[in-house]
Amino acid sequence: MLKNLSYLWMSLAILVVQIFLLDELSIAMWLRPMIFPLIVILLQMEWRTIWVLLISTLVGLAMDLALGGAGLYTATIVPLAMLRRWMLFLTTRRSIEQGDQTSLLSRLSHGQLMGYTATMLAIHHTLFFLLESMSFAHPLHLVATIVFSTLLSAAIAWPIIRIFTLKIVVK
Amino acid sequence: MRVWQPLSDKIMHRLIEFIKRIYIVMLFVLIEGAALWYYATATPYNESKILARTTAVGGAVSSTVNDVRNFMSLPEENSKLTKRVAYLEEELERRDIALAELMPGDVDAPIIDSIDSKFCYHPVRVVSMTTNRNRNYIVVDRGTEAGIRENMGVITPNKELVGKVVSCSENYAVVMPLLNTLFKIGGRLVANGYVCSVYWEATSRYRVTGVELSLYAKPEQGMVINAESEQLPTDVVIGTIESTTINASQTAYSVDVELAADMQCLSNLLIVENRDQSELETLLNSVEK
Repeated sequence: MLKNLSYLWMSLAILVVQIFLLDELSIAMWLRPMIFPLIVILLQMEWRTIWVLLISTLVGLAMDLALGGAGLYTATIVPLAMLRRWMLFLTTRRSIEQGDQTSLLSRLSHGQLMGYTATMLAIHHTLFFLLESMSFAHPLHLVATIVFSTLLSAAIAWPIIRIFTLKIVVK
Repeated sequence: MRVWQPLSDKIMHRLIEFIKRIYIVMLFVLIEGAALWYYATATPYNESKILARTTAVGGAVSSTVNDVRNFMSLPEENSKLTKRVAYLEEELERRDIALAELMPGDVDAPIIDSIDSKFCYHPVRVVSMTTNRNRNYIVVDRGTEAGIRENMGVITPNKELVGKVVSCSENYAVVMPLLNTLFKIGGRLVANGYVCSVYWEATSRYRVTGVELSLYAKPEQGMVINAESEQLPTDVVIGTIESTTINASQTAYSVDVELAADMQCLSNLLIVENRDQSELETLLNSVEK
């Protein structure tokens, strides 16, 4: 219960940072960090997919309402809910097994957790910017936006993951 | 009954198991579909972008489907063409005879120098077309590479007016048909030679309107109106008069014209090239200057 409450606070903090800080930043056209997918990415792997799917829909809807995304945020975050177990296995070769006593995410090293998070952020950013532009008219600009935004998002995500592993997962 | 009961239970059980197995995927597809649909229709920009993408894909699919359909309808088309060739042969023979009677020593010469010899015809096929908008267009499968140019007239093999070419790429041309509110052409009553202006008012896909027809023309139901344009031969039919009305100032007639061409069922068309087109354009431009 305590863990879930901590997780809820972390999610709210991420949303606030995303909406009021990161979305207001205008460093460059091709640099648009997005950390709100962490809410879905860092959800307990043991949770049933249906709950993760519904939570990701709620997060997407909240972002759409807050930033006027008209479905764009929802459309790009919901696939993460379906992909996260596969991506975790692909990046770390770890999966949920019968009889596990502790959370799967808590058993990952920082490097593994970062690898998994960065991959998921890359998938999200690719979907997001592709759908947003709906065109391959400027492929270099598109690729630059995806790559640099993912790198910056991953860099911002790093301290959040540290807090997540130290304060939330170990509880 | 006792035999069927366990069987239906088993099927129901399997169905429930199946739904249990895929309900998450179904929910995902539903949420994702709804989000994408809302995003696609939220703003005119998104809508136009998606429309452009889907039109490109749809065009390719429709082109393939049309190719298959055309291939499947080859026997029917062949039969139509054969009938047409037979008719033309007969017509040619009749003309030869008539000309031979007029000029016994020089049978072939008048045909080459006849009024319509300045026109040549490019057969084309319809790739895609619309008929349900105010501004309809037809895409055909020949372009500049085949000698198609803008402003060329487009007719059916039966010499019924379809429209004119408005844009060309290397392999395709876009035709503005009569069923486009921007299309206007001159018309001439075959019976007495009076001219009018013909356009589409977007009220019916089967009729157009002729206006500014002189009171002396005395138009009647059933009279044929031909196209009057330097881009077309003189015997291209627009349609027949359905009804007539005199305008409020009692100075001219307006007529409803039933289209000769079935604009909803076009497949093989002819693009008419006037060999003197560039000369005519130069002449007209010099007058406008």
